[in-house]
Amino acid sequence: MATIASKRRTGASRQRTSTHEGFLTHRKGRWLKISALLAVALIALYIFVPLPGQHFGSTWLGYTLGTIGALLILWLTMLGVRKRAITPGRWSLKAWTSAHVYLGLLLIVVGTLHSGFEFGWNVHTLAWGLMMLVIVSGMFGIWVYATLPRALSDNRYDEDGAITEKQMVEALRSIDRQIHDAAQPLDSEAAALVNRSLEEDPFAGSFWNRLTGRYPRDATRSAASGLRQMRANKPRVADDPIEKVDALLTRKEAMLARMRRHLKLKSWLQAWLYVHVPVTFALIAALSAHVVSVFFYW
Amino acid sequence: MNFLIRQIALKSSGEEIVRPSAVEADAITIGRDGACDIHLPDLAVDPFHARISPLSGGKLMIESIGDQPFDVDGRSTTRRELDVATGAELAFGGHRITLSADPETGAPTFTVRRVEAVSESAGDVELSTAFTLKGLLPGKRGSAWAFALLMLVAFLAIPIWSWATYQPLALQKDARRPAGVHGDTAWSSGHLSVAHSKLQNDCQACHVEPFVAVRDNACLTCHTQDAHQHIKDGARLLKARGEPQGFAAFQRAVATAFNRPAGRCVDCHTEHEGAGAMPATRQQFCTDCHDGLKGRLPDTKISDAADFGTAHPQFRPTVIVGMDGEKPLLQRAVWTDTLKENNGLKFTHGQHLSKVNGVAQMVHRRPGQFATNDSLGCKDCHKIEAGGTRFKPVEMEQACESCHSLTFDQVGGTFRTLRHGEPEQVVADLRAFYRGGAPARPANLSGLARRVPGDAALRSTAADYARAVRFYPTKGDQAVAQVFSKGGMCFDCHTVNRGGSAAAGGFTVQRVAQNDRYYHVGWFDHKDHRKTDCASCHVKAERSNDASDLLVPGMDGPGGCRSCHVGEAGAKLATAKVKDPVDSGCAMCHAYHMDSDAPWKPADKRKAPALQTAVADRPRFPAILK
Repeated sequence: MATIASKRRTGASRQRTSTHEGFLTHRKGRWLKISALLAVALIALYIFVPLPGQHFGSTWLGYTLGTIGALLILWLTMLGVRKRAITPGRWSLKAWTSAHVYLGLLLIVVGTLHSGFEFGWNVHTLAWGLMMLVIVSGMFGIWVYATLPRALSDNRYDEDGAITEKQMVEALRSIDRQIHDAAQPLDSEAAALVNRSLEEDPFAGSFWNRLTGRYPRDATRSAASGLRQMRANKPRVADDPIEKVDALLTRKEAMLARMRRHLKLKSWLQAWLYVHVPVTFALIAALSAHVVSVFFYW
Repeated sequence: MNFLIRQIALKSSGEEIVRPSAVEADAITIGRDGACDIHLPDLAVDPFHARISPLSGGKLMIESIGDQPFDVDGRSTTRRELDVATGAELAFGGHRITLSADPETGAPTFTVRRVEAVSESAGDVELSTAFTLKGLLPGKRGSAWAFALLMLVAFLAIPIWSWATYQPLALQKDARRPAGVHGDTAWSSGHLSVAHSKLQNDCQACHVEPFVAVRDNACLTCHTQDAHQHIKDGARLLKARGEPQGFAAFQRAVATAFNRPAGRCVDCHTEHEGAGAMPATRQQFCTDCHDGLKGRLPDTKISDAADFGTAHPQFRPTVIVGMDGEKPLLQRAVWTDTLKENNGLKFTHGQHLSKVNGVAQMVHRRPGQFATNDSLGCKDCHKIEAGGTRFKPVEMEQACESCHSLTFDQVGGTFRTLRHGEPEQVVADLRAFYRGGAPARPANLSGLARRVPGDAALRSTAADYARAVRFYPTKGDQAVAQVFSKGGMCFDCHTVNRGGSAAAGGFTVQRVAQNDRYYHVGWFDHKDHRKTDCASCHVKAERSNDASDLLVPGMDGPGGCRSCHVGEAGAKLATAKVKDPVDSGCAMCHAYHMDSDAPWKPADKRKAPALQTAVADRPRFPAILK
């Protein structure tokens, strides 16, 4: 995704210059053009080539499209292997990814034309459905890849520059240590409240909490609000330890919120793959069943 | 009392630092407050949490100052007696305090360790996975395997198991699987046609062997009666189709390589195409072979046909060419406008259908007895069959006799008629009629009566009587001769010849054969043409006065089929004048399976009840009354 060059720690401005060409626009959309051309050609074949019979999947064009589709699915799956070896050049990973995206979209045309628009409750339509599920999840993936990284960067930047994931954890640890020290003079009731915040795992929360970024029973927030309630009923004194702890808890809350926003964005960036990848393998299995069944009951 | 306190801290390297101190006091306190003897900087610990005081006999009492409990040897409590010699383990928040006796002095020693991190975030965080969804969702690899396995089991293993279970039922006509869900139905690519809907669950009925395309023997397991081969010699059929060229040859090669031989039933009768009826056969299926057939099968007797409108051989109706005893001799002849068929009758269609002659007058005088009141119509004689496809043979008793009466005598109010179809009875009846009126014996020839004297009168009477008796039978013979000769009842309609038996008066009446179906290879249905006037096709009927004129229309000319019917795509000859063209593919008249029934039609186009065309209905012999 976009590589961002920035002037670090100038405090004055954050200037970003994108020198990057993403996989969507790789070589001015070469694979987009190739796929669009192929799609138009295949649709024209489907409409204009005279064929005997009505059952499209079992005509010569149907078998041809089916073979192309199956090979395409296997090749698209190979991205999972290919992405672990980054190489430059014509068959750079970027080129490969670009082809993966656009040929994957072409697969909608190939697979659907192969079906001849005959759907039913059978293994054949199941394979088509799984294929569409994989493609739609991939489209969702492209959408999040295209939109979320900017939000992710924005979240990581502040006047001090970018913060890394490690620094987020370190910052929380630091605040926690300070809270721990500052809370030592507190009475047992207040100390228990503060301790709940310390004992809370910042990475806790379900998949749903991650996706929505909402953590309704957050201990840090309840500790802060509990302390404020206690303090409201007490006379003001100088150097009130509660005041210091409260300030520290507020800082922790801000840091936590930032990290959780980071977690939310990363979840959206990753979650689609939990559909895309397993369903791909379900698809390959269903596709095998589809192919075997056709020849078994030939 | 003397207490030893050993505070242990950990270096980052994991090494322990021990900070010992001694407290001389009556009792010591444990708590978060800096004033406590054992100071635990732990927010889970009360500022003043517990107090430890000595008891007698080397025992100590630990009790909570507030109400906050603490752990002793893993059990939560607020008060517990401790034995210094035995030792104990105390837990306060994230700290563990071990009690033991000092080996030298025996003084109670408290070793204090922090066992939990200050906060959860201070613990170890695996940075490579903490920011991912790992642990929150089922792993990609695991679920990929699980899903894939599920698919393979549900849609590969179980269907194959279903197949293996019911494979023994293959090629058995009435064997059906038990009701229920069968795994291999998930492989069905679509509903079976209506005719095969009962086989929906019985995959093995057609798919007999795995990886072997459906063969004809599966079809013929049930279709033992109704599947007629187009021609018996399958090799000839393939030869008629010719060797595929170009891309078609490639397709054939691929199909053969994948074990899909050409020429099977299922080549045309494709299935799994939805729950409707099977689609009608397209002309292409026929013309693939029949267009230019002579070129590929030089010895064939069948003429080339490509399209009804433009390229169809002339019709060859089956006509009666003579009689073999009682059976008519049938022969196919090329239709021409002048083709003759002698069925043994004399009949004048033109005269009978006239609107001005004596026949029409007769109809006028007997209103209500015929279809119309101004002249005879076709249906006054020609009655349609039950199915409506063809006509029943004309029956003399119903059609002709109302005018052409066979009456020869009247007794009181009863008319006596000659028996139709039985010449011997006709002869006998006529002879009996004239014998019954034999001259009476004159009274003076009997011995007892009074008479004129002398023999002259007697002789005269005897001579008269003898002459009368002698000549009387001659009148019967004359009547017989008359009825079988020109101007006689029989002769008017029948072909009568000499040379018959004495019982038939020496005459023979030629057997009559009525042809009920002229076109056996093609199918013609009068029912489908019932809105058309008969004379539109049978144009010669109103003019023909020779019964041997073949009034069945041919392909071309006035009244020919091409007056309305054009090719499948509307093609017609330049010479044909067609007002309301009817697109006509091969299947409209021809059946692929060569039986005598109507060509197969899609269910939605079958209007009338099933047609009853039994072999017994073929050319009907003259009625013989029994």
